[in-house]
Amino acid sequence: MTRLRRIVRQTLTIARRDFTATVFAPTFLLFLFAPLITLSFGAIGGVGASVASSSTDKSRIIAIVAPADAPGFARADDELRDIFRDGEQPPELRIDRPKADPARQAHATFAAKDVDARAALYGSLERPTILYDGTGTRSADYLAAVAERTLRDRAGSETSLSVPVKRSVQRTTGISSGGKHQAAFFGVFGIFLLTIILAGQTVGTMAEERSNKVIEVLAAAVPLESVFLGKLLGMLGMAIVFVVFWGTLVSNVGVLLPAEVGRALHEIGPAVGFPTYAVLFFVYFTMAYMLLGAVFLGVGAQASTMREIQMLSLPITIVEVAMFGLSSIGASSPDSWVATFAEIFPFSSPFAMAARAANSPEIWPHAAAIAWQLLWVTIVIFISARAFRRGVLQSGNARWFSRRKDVTQTD
Amino acid sequence: MASNELAVSATGLIKRFGDRKVVDGVDISVPKGMIYGVLGPNGAGKTTTLRMLLGIIEPDDGERMLLGCNHPRDASDRVGYLPEERGLYPAMKAREAIAFLGALRGLDLRTGRKRAVGLLERVGLGYAVDMKIRKLSKGMAQLVQLLGSIVHQPELLVLDEPFSGLDPVNQERLEGLILAERDRGATILFSTHVMAHAERLCDRLAIIAGGKRRFEGTVDDARAMLPMRAHYMPRRDASDIAALLPEDAVRGPDGWRFAQPEEGTEALLARLLDAGHGISALSIERPGLHEAFVRIVGQVAQEHAPGEKTR
Repeated sequence: MTRLRRIVRQTLTIARRDFTATVFAPTFLLFLFAPLITLSFGAIGGVGASVASSSTDKSRIIAIVAPADAPGFARADDELRDIFRDGEQPPELRIDRPKADPARQAHATFAAKDVDARAALYGSLERPTILYDGTGTRSADYLAAVAERTLRDRAGSETSLSVPVKRSVQRTTGISSGGKHQAAFFGVFGIFLLTIILAGQTVGTMAEERSNKVIEVLAAAVPLESVFLGKLLGMLGMAIVFVVFWGTLVSNVGVLLPAEVGRALHEIGPAVGFPTYAVLFFVYFTMAYMLLGAVFLGVGAQASTMREIQMLSLPITIVEVAMFGLSSIGASSPDSWVATFAEIFPFSSPFAMAARAANSPEIWPHAAAIAWQLLWVTIVIFISARAFRRGVLQSGNARWFSRRKDVTQTD
Repeated sequence: MASNELAVSATGLIKRFGDRKVVDGVDISVPKGMIYGVLGPNGAGKTTTLRMLLGIIEPDDGERMLLGCNHPRDASDRVGYLPEERGLYPAMKAREAIAFLGALRGLDLRTGRKRAVGLLERVGLGYAVDMKIRKLSKGMAQLVQLLGSIVHQPELLVLDEPFSGLDPVNQERLEGLILAERDRGATILFSTHVMAHAERLCDRLAIIAGGKRRFEGTVDDARAMLPMRAHYMPRRDASDIAALLPEDAVRGPDGWRFAQPEEGTEALLARLLDAGHGISALSIERPGLHEAFVRIVGQVAQEHAPGEKTR
């Protein structure tokens, strides 16, 4: 058996052991469904917050108008309010009947304890006076618009000054420029999210071998580089199970989305096209996982206690967030030097190249980037194994120097 | 001896940990098909030597050859190893653990599992085939790991302190396994500081102390380093008898013990008989490996007495 075949076989043996030990453990189900638990809590919290928000939101706009104008004013408010999306609508309208001194009455609404008045209109609709507080500028504009609409409705009765004809059109380019940027950001964010959830897992994997003393058996039979790569592949297998599970679930959620959302999403898309992007996304996720995972694995292998491993989680998160930040800047401005730097810097390269796939249709840079990233995975594994050999196994490399010396002497 | 007749050969192995020279120019030649013991006190450098031979750590200097390969990794599939610090995955079943260890050495898992069942039954652990390692006693887990180191039928089996932590019954099982492996044709290299095992098992042995090899040869060669010991019990004990015996004679509850005089025992016996002490019992014994070991290691301890540095 050739040395390469032996190394591949040994690497896969270790990967298989790690994969089965992780995926077939009961705790993996908890890990797999952890996002569901998080989402459930998030949804429950969101509903609760929404209910609480609607019940506690006391912001109001006040219209002090004559009883004769009140129905028209309310109707105009209904019509204009439809233009706004949920969450962007002006505060609820309250129509008050004018008292003896409407100006004082309007001022008094801002001191009322039962509502938070943002703007108050009083006087005739032709010349209304609108009061507003520090946050009520847009509310004041809105009250003015409602007054205008009320008068127009009253004057024109049935006829509108402008009668629009609305037609839906299909964009010929399919994907807008903004849609590409959005796809780029989603790509970077998706890889970041998966990496932050999954790659950090590799930091403690060598701890098992060290605490069980299995490392001695492995190191005697298998080159440490194979041990590191095998463990990384085993954990990658686990990560792929996670991604496939959630990917399948999320892709089917799209069917349940409202038609308008589907149409809006249609404008978002990558420049290389969806099938190619899906492949590149998977490849770059793998590369991000392998690169950052190899670093974390190497650093974690130096730790001798669980406490040390736990201490490493913060710097690990900081590194991941830094790579995400760098790539996000690149995604939003694809032609900037930051984007180019992020594409070249090995540890942000997978994120940044995923963004590039969304922004730019060329394929060849991806082949070069994947080769570059693979080279760095190899370098990191090599360095990690060497550091482990020196730091943990206390095996120096004097032989390497003496070989070099021998070669020099022979020459 | 020709290099192709050696399972292991090493010359001038040196290893430093920081400023401390742990192994200092050790030479070892292990002929194929033999049981070879590496003996030494705690901290002598036995484990470090074995780890260098196996390629787990690199020597700072020296040459080594394992089963004809210049780099131990190239012979990896033909070697079995039981480290001093035992290690198995606690969640693995015994059969899977053995098959996994075999797979690391090139045995396919299916064959490994099949052989694992046979091996476990052979050592009386047939009932533990599907038991998880964490459920096994320390001794049982140690046997499982040993089975994992022989499941791929290696040409060379390296065992680091294999008997430590085993009860007498399991020690006997382990001795049986080692002898069976030798009979199969494997070469066995093991380290120990328990002389009884070495005396019973080793065809040849090396004694390492203070990082250096102090002795190499057979058990008989080691024992022959010390003079024969005489055990004499007089018929009539008297106070003047000590003057007739050699200077190193020591009186015990069952008579006198001393090294056999260089001129032989005949003249001494004649003197004792003439003086009327008679002979109630007399035996001339070859010293054991234990005595030889203590003497060799004791000399090293004296060399390294306080004030002398090993660097």
